[in-house]
Amino acid sequence: MREVFVAGIGITSFTRLEYPLVEIAAYPGLMALRDCGLNKIDQLYVANMGAGRVNHQTGLASAVVDNLSLTPAGADGIENGPASGASAIKQGFMAVASGLHDVVMVIGAERMREVNNLEATDFVATLTHPMAEYIYGVTLPSLAGMFTRLYMEKYGVTSRHLAMVAVKNHQHAMDNFYAHIHEPITIEGILDSPEASTNNPYVADPLRFYDCCPVSDGAACLILTTADIARKTGKPLVRLAGVGQATDTHSVADRKEPTDLLAVREAARKSFEMAGVKPSDVSVAELHDAFTILEIVESEEVGFFPKGQGHIALAEGATKLGGKLPINPSGGLKAKGHPVGATGVGQAHEIVLQLRGEAGKRQVKNAKVGFTCNFGGFGNNVVCLTFVKEK
Amino acid sequence: MEYNIYAYKCKRCGHVQYPYRTICRNCHENDHNEFDIVPLPKKGKLLTYTILYNPPSDYETPTISLGIVELEDGNRITGQLKIDKPKTGMAVVGRVEIVRNESYNEYRGMVFYKA
Repeated sequence: MREVFVAGIGITSFTRLEYPLVEIAAYPGLMALRDCGLNKIDQLYVANMGAGRVNHQTGLASAVVDNLSLTPAGADGIENGPASGASAIKQGFMAVASGLHDVVMVIGAERMREVNNLEATDFVATLTHPMAEYIYGVTLPSLAGMFTRLYMEKYGVTSRHLAMVAVKNHQHAMDNFYAHIHEPITIEGILDSPEASTNNPYVADPLRFYDCCPVSDGAACLILTTADIARKTGKPLVRLAGVGQATDTHSVADRKEPTDLLAVREAARKSFEMAGVKPSDVSVAELHDAFTILEIVESEEVGFFPKGQGHIALAEGATKLGGKLPINPSGGLKAKGHPVGATGVGQAHEIVLQLRGEAGKRQVKNAKVGFTCNFGGFGNNVVCLTFVKEK
Repeated sequence: MEYNIYAYKCKRCGHVQYPYRTICRNCHENDHNEFDIVPLPKKGKLLTYTILYNPPSDYETPTISLGIVELEDGNRITGQLKIDKPKTGMAVVGRVEIVRNESYNEYRGMVFYKA
């Protein structure tokens, strides 16, 4: 198997974008080509979840490869729910590692704001079990709400801990130009003040407005290649060292221990094992905080903290910039935004910036090993990536 | 007439699974993937719940309550709740009612009440 390196990266703002989806997808591709000075690729993978349903567009990869004038390169679309982005990176990894292709472009793109919030939520809810969940009106926030209640009762996580995740990630996003939300918040404002119930109403009890990520448009791109080509670009070398994926039951109610996220545990284990590193070697991580509770639980399941201790590490400040293990320096899904199919590529984009030392004010010092967790469904399909800075 | 929600009992190992899977989750037997259809019990214990304040647009109520119930046979089911003040661990009993109305389709599912 050949080693796989990240040559170029690009991203759009994660926000409401008034451009056609194809152009949203193409823009970070252009940025990534400029970033590494390449102008030809062998293969394009485009991750997207809802173009067929939300944007009335199918065959997105063919449209994007033409828009970037990269034909006759191969082009495939990847749909794997909210984990589409990291799944597409996994395909890119396999293509380069196997020797099939030398230069692979991976784009994640989504335009959800073309429809209203309720329609966007309903579109994401179509990934739930059609007969055992969807027909009851189950949405992703409601699955997260039921999960949060169990976690609170079992491990003593409180609304205050959840709010700490939101406050931290909003603060991190202040230094990220591309983030969806540039709005500092305080625990007092969203929990303690008399206005808190208006500022921060319940969405899916016990989860409130500020526990949920926004609905975003956006796209991100990674160009993956071999060691030889990556060296010629002159960019700091970042290697995609570990790829792990695992699945869990489709219906959330079916899980033996409903507070476990076994797919996260297994995907992270595989990713670390392939990269030959331990969770304690990680200097910076991007976790899939579509809901604040998920950042806490994932930080435990991937092995950063013991089960049930994630909220304690959070409260001690270990996971904020300047802490022992900064989590979501980009602002995370919570504040950077969550254009579903683009999210996994966006996470990888942030980790590459951090390992290159190009993250500006939110740079994690001496970042050597970076980790992403891209969480599909409600934990039924998870892809974890480990990146290593090379000399 | 009383409606039921049905589960699938593996003809080989007897494991009762809900929802349906083509291959039995317990014995993974792929030569005889045949099942008897058996009704799920209606009584159980509320494991967790949420009140959803922005239900999908085809609901006319401002909120819906959803819960996961552990049934008497150990199977777990997601359902709607019609309970004033739900509490985790409380005994509940289910009835099959209309749980979703899309333009031309009505879907029936389990709605739980205080036992």
